[in-house]
Amino acid sequence: MTSHRAIALNVLALYALAALLAAAFTAQFILGELPCPLCLLQRIMFALLAIGPILNIRFGPRPSHYALSLLAAVVGASVSTRQVLLHIMPGDAGYGTALFGYHYYTWALIGFIAAIVLLSLVLLFDRQFEKAPTAHPTPGVIAHVAVWFVIGLTAANVASTLLECGFKACADDPKVYELLK
Amino acid sequence: MEFTALFLAIAITMLVAWYGSRTLAFSLFAVVLIACVATFLHHATDALKLSF
Repeated sequence: MTSHRAIALNVLALYALAALLAAAFTAQFILGELPCPLCLLQRIMFALLAIGPILNIRFGPRPSHYALSLLAAVVGASVSTRQVLLHIMPGDAGYGTALFGYHYYTWALIGFIAAIVLLSLVLLFDRQFEKAPTAHPTPGVIAHVAVWFVIGLTAANVASTLLECGFKACADDPKVYELLK
Repeated sequence: MEFTALFLAIAITMLVAWYGSRTLAFSLFAVVLIACVATFLHHATDALKLSF
């Protein structure tokens, strides 16, 4: 896999992360379900996962950039595993609405594990790292849009979390937006 | 409040990764990751309301 192909994959990964953050927002506003602290932490880890691809697009693919995403995915998987285990007892209805039979934290765990596997697979291709960093092409419009989608959604989460939690610790089982009541 | 701060810190790290220096982006990433792990451990030590 060449450097150009690797960058295209990183742009694709940013769009996937943007879609994921947008889907979480959609569920929050359409279903009226406020994210719990662990749910917010999983969103945060998905946003943190995007920093590796952003660096890959700007500076060219490097193993250290993929390492950042791997670290974020491992912490994210730990957080979602914790939430899955909290609701694993038979008879526990789980937190929030299920989507295609799984709750969001289960989907998040699947997502983080998929990210770890995909990142490991991409790291197998050494040719992407051969190009000199100075020869790295300027990111195109599609890459710019992908980066700004992710930054915009993260900024929207700043506003949404501030509305939900206010200036104190978030409730374990939030029901109302603290700043709107 | 801590989650608002974390999202804000990530947005700033993203902007630095896109416009600023690589070293600063790495440093900010490290700070945010440590803050995330600390937040997780804080919540992971909450008493569990188990049903048995």
